[in-house]
Amino acid sequence: MAAIQLVHVSKEYGGGALAVNDLNLEIAEGEFVVLVGPSGCGKTTALRMVAGLEEITDGEIRIGDRVVNDLAPRDRDIAMVFQNYALYPHKTVYENLVFGLRMRKVPKEERRRRVEEIARILGLEDMLQRRPAQLSGGQRQRVAMGRAIVREPQAFLMDEPLSNLDAKLRVQMRAEIARIQQTLAVTTLYVTHDQVEAMTMGHRVAVMRGGVLQQVDTPQRLYDSPGNLFVASFVGSPAMNLLEVVLERDGGTLVCRVGDTDLELPADTVGRRPALERFVGRHIAVGIRPEALSEAGEDPDAPRLRGRVLLVEALGAESLAHVEVTGTPLDRPELVDVAASQTHLLPVGERTATLLARLEHDTGVRPGHIVDLAVDTRRLHFFDLESGVAIAAAAAPVTAAAVG
Amino acid sequence: MSSVAPIAPVPVAPTTARPAAVARRRLRRGHVARRIGINLLGLAVFTVMIFPVYWMVATAFKPGRNIQDYKPHWFPAPATLSNFTNAVHRPYFWTDVKNSLIIVSFVVVLSLTVAFLAALALSRFRFYGRTAFIFLILGTLMVPLAALIIPLYITLSRVHLINTLTGVIAMYMTFVLPFSVWTLQGFMRGVPRELEEAAMVDGSTRFGAFVRILLPLVAPGLVATSIFAFIQAWNEFIIAYVFLHDGSKQTITVWLASFTNLHGTDWGPLMAGATLTALPVVVFFVLIQRRIAFGLTAGAVRG
Amino acid sequence: MAVAESEFPLVSRRRRRLSGRRVASALAPYALLAPAAAIIGAVLGYPLYLLVRLSFEKYGLFELVRHHGTWVGLGNYRKIFHDSQFWHVVLRTVVFTAVNVTLTMVLGTAIALLIARLGRFMRLLLTTALVLVWATPVVVAVNIWRWMVDYEFGVANWTLTKLHFGNFVHHDWFASSLSGFGVITAVIVWGAIPFVAITVYAGLSQVPQELIEAAQIDGARAWNVFREVTLPLLKPIFIILASLSIIWDFQVFNQVWIMLGERPSPDYYLMSIYAFVESFRINEYGLGSAIAVVMVAMMMVATLVYIRQMVKTGEVR
Ligand SMILES: Nc1ncnc2c1ncn2[C@@H]1O[C@H](COP(=O)(O)OP(=O)(O)OP(=O)(O)O)[C@@H](O)[C@H]1O
Ligand SMILES: [Mg+2]
Repeated sequence: MAAIQLVHVSKEYGGGALAVNDLNLEIAEGEFVVLVGPSGCGKTTALRMVAGLEEITDGEIRIGDRVVNDLAPRDRDIAMVFQNYALYPHKTVYENLVFGLRMRKVPKEERRRRVEEIARILGLEDMLQRRPAQLSGGQRQRVAMGRAIVREPQAFLMDEPLSNLDAKLRVQMRAEIARIQQTLAVTTLYVTHDQVEAMTMGHRVAVMRGGVLQQVDTPQRLYDSPGNLFVASFVGSPAMNLLEVVLERDGGTLVCRVGDTDLELPADTVGRRPALERFVGRHIAVGIRPEALSEAGEDPDAPRLRGRVLLVEALGAESLAHVEVTGTPLDRPELVDVAASQTHLLPVGERTATLLARLEHDTGVRPGHIVDLAVDTRRLHFFDLESGVAIAAAAAPVTAAAVG
Repeated sequence: MSSVAPIAPVPVAPTTARPAAVARRRLRRGHVARRIGINLLGLAVFTVMIFPVYWMVATAFKPGRNIQDYKPHWFPAPATLSNFTNAVHRPYFWTDVKNSLIIVSFVVVLSLTVAFLAALALSRFRFYGRTAFIFLILGTLMVPLAALIIPLYITLSRVHLINTLTGVIAMYMTFVLPFSVWTLQGFMRGVPRELEEAAMVDGSTRFGAFVRILLPLVAPGLVATSIFAFIQAWNEFIIAYVFLHDGSKQTITVWLASFTNLHGTDWGPLMAGATLTALPVVVFFVLIQRRIAFGLTAGAVRG
Repeated sequence: MAVAESEFPLVSRRRRRLSGRRVASALAPYALLAPAAAIIGAVLGYPLYLLVRLSFEKYGLFELVRHHGTWVGLGNYRKIFHDSQFWHVVLRTVVFTAVNVTLTMVLGTAIALLIARLGRFMRLLLTTALVLVWATPVVVAVNIWRWMVDYEFGVANWTLTKLHFGNFVHHDWFASSLSGFGVITAVIVWGAIPFVAITVYAGLSQVPQELIEAAQIDGARAWNVFREVTLPLLKPIFIILASLSIIWDFQVFNQVWIMLGERPSPDYYLMSIYAFVESFRINEYGLGSAIAVVMVAMMMVATLVYIRQMVKTGEVR
């Protein structure tokens, strides 16, 4: 086991654009770090540089206490699981598993013992004499994992290893990989574009965009306090509602003006974000997670938004309501997958935004209804419209506040 | 978006062991040396492979005194066209070019027409005896022309077709036809059947679907196969050599092979003639190389 | 026909039409194949039958004029099998084929591996050269090489002398059949390399890059990657190329015949030359046929390997 460090690592494929731009990332010994981001953001490139399959344009990569920049892949003592598994089609499962050990001149008896042990752990004992073509997708995936594990390497690198599996198997293998990683406590760098995978598997998640690392944090902290608009929009499913609002002072309190509705901000929220004062009278971006919206009760003073229901998706445990409100949806290039920016798909007017709200499964709300959505104003996220950076709470009590 | 800095930059101290820049330069230098070495090797192989062709063309343009010199003249300077004029004014050059063209045209048209029909059957129908026919086509490979030529000679001498272009055209079918059938059915198999089926669903007859859908799509394959048939027929030697005795009836390859006379070889005109013989083939070959190259092996590697 | 049909009641007419169409579409492929089958039968099948029959006959000049051979049973075969020259020729042909095929395959594969590692410009240059060589007609190629090894003004003799390989001034390459076959092998291998190199290169580029990377990460060095991953994946291509090369090199005729000015000495006899000389120079068509039949039988083995591999890789479907 060893830690992996990327220090100011950049990659240029030619043509001037940086596929990876000044990446700094440390994966501690035994840690499971997931690299996530939209397609083409440089995740694979970063991983392949660690593996030694891609030359590093700038910076330094260390595995353990060795600088590995000019080491060949075989000398880095890492194992990799490929998206298409890259099982040797002409070799049996046994030969696939044993290949790495043979190349490393592990004694014959030892080889057999290790392969058989791994096969037992992964439930592959009955398939050792089969060829990859005779295996199901899940079994191939397991052989690919086995080939990595049997080597007992310093680190695992995995590039979207689950993307070729069907939805159900993916969930199952997700848990299995996480379990194996936990048991072996091997340093793991895992690449995916699926943020659900990232959030469920990683000890920490690194979010990339356009070659630039956006934020590295535990899944919970990423969710609770995204550092910028991109991370806010990327993390979470369904995604965060993002609106452009005007921040106003109304007597002693600050209010967000959404369309023609004023949402009063609680004093402690404002208190923990002294920076908000600087934005009074200006446009800012506000993020509302779907679960911070609910059907409003009787209390007339509670902050609420009124809108027309466009669509209700019953998901079983809950219902997702698409509610059209007056307000300005945020429209910025970095936003992916944001409910509010999808409004153009639906027939809506000029200044309307569609919010996603997580409602009770037995909600009586139907399309066409006018509803009042209660807004949990303590769980709002604020962003500087210019830079996209979060107007974050001062250090310590953030987590508590955001969750509470 | 550059204004959005990484929110939680990981504090990693730069190593003291070896600055990254140095490591990088070292890696690059090793890499570059290797690349240069490999490309030099490529240049060497290129030189060895191309030299004979170059030597033919260069010799063809050299005056006689520069050819008949123990010390080679590497470049055709001064250059002359006299070898070419000499070659084309030799007896039967133009007649034999004409003979070659006649034979080749008949062979191409005949074999392509027949092969097209056969390929249609092989690629678009399932029928009893189909596999047997394919094996027959592939099996023709095992019959060497040098073996076949004996009974062919005896047969043709019975029907008095020796020394006629007709006999040679018929015999060229022995190797051009199986090849054309095999290549064409490969091209046709590459056109998805669904396209014709769609046309048939849209109201076309089966024949109409062949004509309107398959034919245009397989046209490039037809062209490639024709050219390859052309090349094979143009290059053939032994049959023409055995069956065409008169100088005025021979083909260009036989003309070229009989260049040596009792006084030795006139290398300049011979190389000029060789260049002229190779020219149409080279032109055509370069045109279709990409398509035909893998006809015999296509699809043999499957990851 | 249409008139007659319209008199039948609707139901039966439909059935008739249907079955008529079915018969037509069942016969269609045979009709399409008929011309090809007829031609192949006439120019290949019949001569092949005749070849076998001739091999059991005495067929000399007299018989050629008479258009009729004399049945001698296994006489021709007995004769050639008891002829030590025949066995020499067989052995020479087998060795010649083995040497040519081996050289072609090894050099062709090496060049394919080289092409895969070249820069773009060099790759284009080299493949262009290969295509030019490939396109060179055999008769032309033989004459080029004959010129290069000419004993008086050949570039080979001058170069080898300059490079101190010995004194090659006025060296006659065809004085000894060994060096003569060396030149012939050079012509054949030089001409056959492009097909092998380009085909193997195409195969190499189809090997998934991931597999190579996986092997590298598994700790394999370049040689092991080639031996353990690339080579097994390309095995079908190698089998096809090798069997085709065997088929082609076993029946070499033109290169020897033209290279030696159309009168090769017996040292240069390969089976094809031997059969040809027996028939057309000595006018023993029966003996020549017997030799040719043995040749076809030997070629059959390589052809079967080729066809088997084509079936396995799904080319025959
Ligand atoms: N070999 C290459 N040559 C040139 N550009 C490349 C190469 N490989 C990747 N790129 C470019 O580098 C950028 C990052 O690619 P990369 O494969 O790392 O993306 P990714 O995050 O893994 O995407 P995905 O989720 O689609 O796999 C892309 O813009 C891509 O076009
Ligand atoms: Mg990727």
